[in-house]
Amino acid sequence: MLARTALLAALLCVGAAARAATVDVAVSDAAGSPLADAVVMLEPVGAKLPVKPMVGAQIAQHDLRFSPQVSVVTVGTPVMFPNQDTVKHHVYSYSPAKTFQIKLYAGVPHTPIVFDKPGVAVLGCNIHDGMLAWVIVTETPLWARSAGGHAKVLDVPPGSYQIHVWHSSLAETTPPQLLPLTVAASDVEQRVRLGPGGLVK
Amino acid sequence: MSVNDRPWRKSLGARIIVVFLALLLAVQLVSFASLRISLSRHAHNEMPAKLERGEQLLRTLLERRVVAVADVTKVTASDFGFSTVLFADDHDEDHERTITSNLDSLRTRVEATEVAFLGLDGAVQHRSSGGDAAAVASVAAQLRPQLPANGFASEIMRVGGLPYQVVAVPVMKPRVVGWILIAFPLGEKLQHDVKSLSGTDLTLLTRASAREPWAVAMTTLAGANANDLAENGWGAPTAPDAMASVPSQGDELGVHALPLGADRRLDGGVLALISLSVSDAVRLPADLQFQLILITLTAIGVFAAGSVVTARRVTTPLRGLADAAERLGAGDYATPMRGLTRGDELGALSQSFERMRISVAENQAQILRLAYWDTLTALPNRARFREAVGDALRDAADARLANGAEFGVAVVMLDLNRFKHVNDVLGYSVGDQVLVGIAERLSRALARDGDVVARLSGDEFAILLRRTDAAQAEALALRIERSLEQPLVLGEHKVDMGAGIGIACWPLHADDADSLLVRAEMAMYAAKRQTNGPVTYDPAIDATSVQTLTLISELRQAVDRNELRLYLQPKLALEDRRVVGAEALVRWQHPTRGLVPPMQFIPFAEQTGFIRTLTMWVFEEAARCWQILADEGLQLRLSVNLSTRDLLDLDLPQKFAALLARHEVPAKAFCLEITESAIMDDPQRALATLDALSAMGFKLSIDDFGTGYSSLAYLKRLPVDELKIDQSFVRNMQSDRDDEMIVRSTIDLAHNLGIMVVAEGVETAEAWNLLRELKCDQAQGYHMGKPMPVTEFSAWCASWGMRRAAGDADGALLLH
Repeated sequence: MLARTALLAALLCVGAAARAATVDVAVSDAAGSPLADAVVMLEPVGAKLPVKPMVGAQIAQHDLRFSPQVSVVTVGTPVMFPNQDTVKHHVYSYSPAKTFQIKLYAGVPHTPIVFDKPGVAVLGCNIHDGMLAWVIVTETPLWARSAGGHAKVLDVPPGSYQIHVWHSSLAETTPPQLLPLTVAASDVEQRVRLGPGGLVK
Repeated sequence: MSVNDRPWRKSLGARIIVVFLALLLAVQLVSFASLRISLSRHAHNEMPAKLERGEQLLRTLLERRVVAVADVTKVTASDFGFSTVLFADDHDEDHERTITSNLDSLRTRVEATEVAFLGLDGAVQHRSSGGDAAAVASVAAQLRPQLPANGFASEIMRVGGLPYQVVAVPVMKPRVVGWILIAFPLGEKLQHDVKSLSGTDLTLLTRASAREPWAVAMTTLAGANANDLAENGWGAPTAPDAMASVPSQGDELGVHALPLGADRRLDGGVLALISLSVSDAVRLPADLQFQLILITLTAIGVFAAGSVVTARRVTTPLRGLADAAERLGAGDYATPMRGLTRGDELGALSQSFERMRISVAENQAQILRLAYWDTLTALPNRARFREAVGDALRDAADARLANGAEFGVAVVMLDLNRFKHVNDVLGYSVGDQVLVGIAERLSRALARDGDVVARLSGDEFAILLRRTDAAQAEALALRIERSLEQPLVLGEHKVDMGAGIGIACWPLHADDADSLLVRAEMAMYAAKRQTNGPVTYDPAIDATSVQTLTLISELRQAVDRNELRLYLQPKLALEDRRVVGAEALVRWQHPTRGLVPPMQFIPFAEQTGFIRTLTMWVFEEAARCWQILADEGLQLRLSVNLSTRDLLDLDLPQKFAALLARHEVPAKAFCLEITESAIMDDPQRALATLDALSAMGFKLSIDDFGTGYSSLAYLKRLPVDELKIDQSFVRNMQSDRDDEMIVRSTIDLAHNLGIMVVAEGVETAEAWNLLRELKCDQAQGYHMGKPMPVTEFSAWCASWGMRRAAGDADGALLLH
């Protein structure tokens, strides 16, 4: 649902200005296996595309798990953390992208957490060590999640981009997975592989 | 070095002791050496394992420290409060102090020198108070590449030249947000633990890069040893079951090298050396050394005692044997050996000595028998007899001194006549039997014990009579002579043996044994000459003998000094009184004694062999005379006497031939006169010589016929031309009918054999006439003419010829 919202937004933004292309990124891990649920972001070089906070984003706690585990939100998006378990949770993040705590609570907290900086926030629960979730805060509207190893970013205007891929298997110490990409009027297929030193073709 | 410089070499016992102890010491030295070698080998075998244990201990200690530190640090890392402070939004000074104090308290808990918080990029975000910021930065910088994405790290690294142990514990919120870094230099506690728990020394070396030398950071060794280790270089780690050997300060260090750096390479960082001293490992513990010395001293004592006993057991019997050998050498063969019952080599040696002693004693006895006893007759020999005589004289002298007993000692000596003849004719076997038979008879003739019969030489025997006198001795001599008259019957042979017997008595004739024997021998020779029974020694015999010896030596010079004279005694034909020949006789004109009678030197010239010289002289002189007489018109046959020795000289015919040639005289001008006994001494050789002489043309004559034992039948075989009847028969024939019969029958028989007869000793006209009646051919005697020099002989012949021509019919008136 979130993806669809973003798609709609992108369509609205670029509209009739130019004929947009679709960028199909085939993502595989370092061993070459296709990765599912990777987040592929196209970040324009030297410019910023307008992006609006998303509405209604939430990460629930259910059966002592975060749901969803990986969320992609645009900068400024407020996220609700409804506790659907019968136990209390203490959700926190010490990531630079967003440091916050929602101390022991049950039910739905009153205020959402606004993710106002781009980056990756790692979320945990101080009560339940096994609970883990990521919030990828993006500044670009051109992003997609991979399924079957392919992430298709739609309506990409021609220009210079950086492909930025994130996947939950990446270690925190791994540098950002970036790869330059020039997009013309036609669709682009790009094959990428995650690596410890960065993204490679 | 001479033997004298090493007194122990003189003694077998000392040698045994020295050799025993030397061997013991050698064995001890060898065992000490082998103990050392095996200790060294053991040490070298054991050391790698010990070093390995030291290395394991070091690893374990380091890991335990890491675990302990990590355990404590994890508590902090997972503490929510710590994270809350760390990631608080307000970054003021109080906040920073809070974080620092938090890290300080952790530092105290883990006993580290530095604690810091590293961000995800590995950079130092916070650190404990005080400490060394540069060191922490260095640690962080070195650690950064090794920080695991999601975990824990520990490392040993060189920081400011010192070895540091570093532990990084991740802070998980919920994924890693950074690391708590704990760092501290490796220190004395680690060394102490390694040394005390494994016994190995620990040295830590550091260097910044492979280009730099290792530097000693810390060590439990002496500084010099540690520096030697550092200078070794260390190119590679040591294999687990091996060790590096590093010489150091006269010692040897066995070393295990263990790189502690991050990449386990040796191009920098930290190197741990676990070492052991080889000499410490090889060194004997003090108590073991003491025990070994004690054992050695005890063994030396035991060996010394044992070798002394052994040496005694060997040398004592050896000394006994040496003493026994000395006794044998000194002639004591009676003392038996000791130690014959021993079962060992010395016992065998003693038994050998004993056998040798017995054997030598038997040999000695045998030698004595051979030296003192005659093997043929089993009688004492001359040496034994001489000793017996000496003993008898001493006993008699002692008896005289003791009780005045006037006993004498007599020696009777006898020499067999014609024994050589028996040997030659009948063989040596019969000769030996004769000697044995004579020995038996002599032994039987002795009635008394203590008297001794001995065989002195070939056919010479002697008898010793103790406690006797001259009369008893003479009686014994007569008894012996009578016993010898019985012929010896030896198988088919019957042998008549006569003997010359001489007697000498002590103290009458001699003072000592030797002169007693000499005088008995003189008496014996006198008896042989006289052929008239036993002769008792008389000083007169001795005097003559001495005089004779002098004469013999003078006689040898007489030829050269021209003292000999040739005399001729005429031989006349009885039938017509014509001078038909002459007998050549030698006379000695001694410068001081005057004319020496022939009987005083001829017999001794015969004994000494000088007679041959005399014979040749006479023959040559006779040849010369013959020539002189021939010149005067006298054709006479000259008779020359030959002795036994002349006959035995096989060269005699040649010598005569040479003389005849020189003087140009025919052989038939000579008649050679030979006595019966001269022929009988060696009939075969004599016959050969006579045949040769006869063949040359010499006439041969038997002199003194009738005194010997020869028979006419035997004479028949000889080439004889003439017989000379002995003058003893001629002198007595007128008064003794027997003698007349002998003369008569001799003449008849000779004539029957074709042999001419000459009568000697014709001293009266009656004898002349009687001989003429008996048809005797020639006569010789004082009645006609005595022996005279040649010149007188010529004159005599002339006057005789005139008287005969005057027709002196009566032969009786011829001379006187």
